[in-house]
Amino acid sequence: MQSLSSSSTAGVLLDLSGAVMLLLAFACLASKLFDRYVTYYGAQSVVLSFAAATAAVAFHSTELWILAALTLAIKGIAIPFAARRVLVRRLALKRDAAMSTGLTTSLIAGGALTAFAYLVTRPALLPHGTAAAAVVPLSTAVILLGALTMVVRRHTVAQLIGWLIVENGVFLGAITLVATFPFIVEAGIFLDIVAGVLIMVVFVSGLTRQLAGASAGELRELRG
Amino acid sequence: MTALAILIALAPLAGPVAALAGARARLAALAQAAGAAVALGCAVALLARLDGHPPLQAWDGFLYVDPLSGFFLLTVAGVTLLAALGSVSYITAQEDSGELTSFQVRLYYTFFGLFATLMLASLETGNLGLLFVLIEGSTLASAALVGLEGRARSLEAAWKYVIISSLGVTIALAGTLFLFYSASALHPGSNLALTWPYLVTHAAALAPQSLRLAFLLAVVGYGTKVGLAPMHTWLPDAHAEAPSPASAMLSAALLNTGMYAIIRFLAIAHARLGPTYPRAVLLSFGFASIVIGALFMVRKGNFKRLFAYSSVEHMGIIAVALGFGGVLGLYGALLQVLNHALAKTVLFLSSGDVSLRYKTREAAQVSGLLAAVPVTGGALLLATFAVLGSPPFGVFLAELTIVRAGFAAGSPAFPLLLLALLGVAFFAFARTTTAMVTGSPPEPVPVSPDRDRAAAAVTAAPLVLGLAALLVLGLWIPAGLDSVLRQSAAVIG
Repeated sequence: MQSLSSSSTAGVLLDLSGAVMLLLAFACLASKLFDRYVTYYGAQSVVLSFAAATAAVAFHSTELWILAALTLAIKGIAIPFAARRVLVRRLALKRDAAMSTGLTTSLIAGGALTAFAYLVTRPALLPHGTAAAAVVPLSTAVILLGALTMVVRRHTVAQLIGWLIVENGVFLGAITLVATFPFIVEAGIFLDIVAGVLIMVVFVSGLTRQLAGASAGELRELRG
Repeated sequence: MTALAILIALAPLAGPVAALAGARARLAALAQAAGAAVALGCAVALLARLDGHPPLQAWDGFLYVDPLSGFFLLTVAGVTLLAALGSVSYITAQEDSGELTSFQVRLYYTFFGLFATLMLASLETGNLGLLFVLIEGSTLASAALVGLEGRARSLEAAWKYVIISSLGVTIALAGTLFLFYSASALHPGSNLALTWPYLVTHAAALAPQSLRLAFLLAVVGYGTKVGLAPMHTWLPDAHAEAPSPASAMLSAALLNTGMYAIIRFLAIAHARLGPTYPRAVLLSFGFASIVIGALFMVRKGNFKRLFAYSSVEHMGIIAVALGFGGVLGLYGALLQVLNHALAKTVLFLSSGDVSLRYKTREAAQVSGLLAAVPVTGGALLLATFAVLGSPPFGVFLAELTIVRAGFAAGSPAFPLLLLALLGVAFFAFARTTTAMVTGSPPEPVPVSPDRDRAAAAVTAAPLVLGLAALLVLGLWIPAGLDSVLRQSAAVIG
């Protein structure tokens, strides 16, 4: 498998994309408006699509071109559009109040997780000087921040966005680490289908709860 | 043989076809059961043909069946048959009483069959990317079963299940990526390089650092589907809210499918890294699950949650057995997979009958089952002792094998800890179920909706079949099964 040098143009662009994606993951973690979650996620997906196109040029890979196009069309446009129309507008969601920790605490935890991501992926695992060594810690941090969003927020829409961010992180890692991974397009399409189903589930359960007149903020009936 | 393997995976679609064609509950159930019976028959035939022959392999490794997958096919197909038989009376009664609309019944059979098909297919592929897709697909199909009843509680459980499992499986995808990365030295590029047989035969060329990470991510990711602690949090809710035959499918088929995926990663890790690292990972998650399962069983409450925590505990036992390793440990782990699946199916199916009659899922409100409904009560009592590892049932034999493997693996501390935890689980579990079975039934004696002799026989059939199989496995392991188990253990390492 060819590896990309971190100082090549493609390597620098991938590194930059990873950094922007990490910032957007932080923005999502720090935001309190449902509308913003969707915006940040959409922007992150567009950056991911750009990164995939960069990798496609660098590795001369048709599959990565397909992945870049699909990412832009589905994750960058279709999912944010559907989430805004079906979830945020239809369920009349504005401010997300259902958090299990304060905003400051979760941001500090996010910083700690980013440091942790560098700690576990840097030594020995990845050869020095390659683009992967620069990007994989970033993608790991994006994955962890997405998971953190799912943990600190109790609202289903926020958890859904958290999962989508995790998915973006996995794909960022995939295109730099194993550009020749043979199943990448199929896995991407399949996970988009999963995302569609999840949006539907959130919509149906949100509607049910609205009809039942319960508070839409929290799911806490089942415990223990 | 290829046709046989395809038929196994497609046969359970008989239920969805019947349901979509507009059949009523009873007819769709019978079609579902017939499909499952065909799948089970084919699985047995396939296993017989694999005995002593090279594994079945086709289409660049997208189709790959060896004795290990054959054994899991047998288990899942058997559970599907029992659960389909259990659905006949349970879903029909729900439809008659108006708890489920005919639309919901159609949905139930559509997703039940789809769920079984996806699980069976995931056991038949050697491609680890496709394995990921099929396992996540089975999550979606089964989430529909969990949320079937459409109340706020069931939708909440379905959401929790689907989002936690999706996160888990996405992590497993990251594990698969790192596994592929660890094979960089082989310059892989085609789908063949992502297949399990290729990676096992070339294990010596894998990079150990990234393989370690890949195995850990796979155990965490697929372990979420298995219900290993601390990723088990979706499990009690989903099992409690699903219709009882679907709970049986979750507990006895789905969890084992996840375990199968872990076993495939374990075989690769074992071949390259040796036993120490996989053992440390599996023993940690295994014992955590046993402790969590046993402690939460102490709580009295919803009896389906009790059974669900018992599943967490048993998956922990299987993980510990895999961690002990050696022929004995692997043999015991697989034996435990089969026996736990049978016992848990009987438990969930009888719990379905109990909740139909008593109109509750709270253990404290149920008493005198033996007097009121002797067959279900008896089955519940026997399955309780079977699942807790009392002789003469199969679980006893499996757990004995696992403890022996633990002593053979070195330190006696782990098997002794395992025995102590099994003791705690025994008292916690039996305390609740014996109180349900004994005593006098509440007044007026709860009767089932409308029951003739034939319907009663249909209710009893899967319970009796499951218990009979458990008893046989406790007394005698057929030579064919023994050979399959030995060959499967050899596959793992």
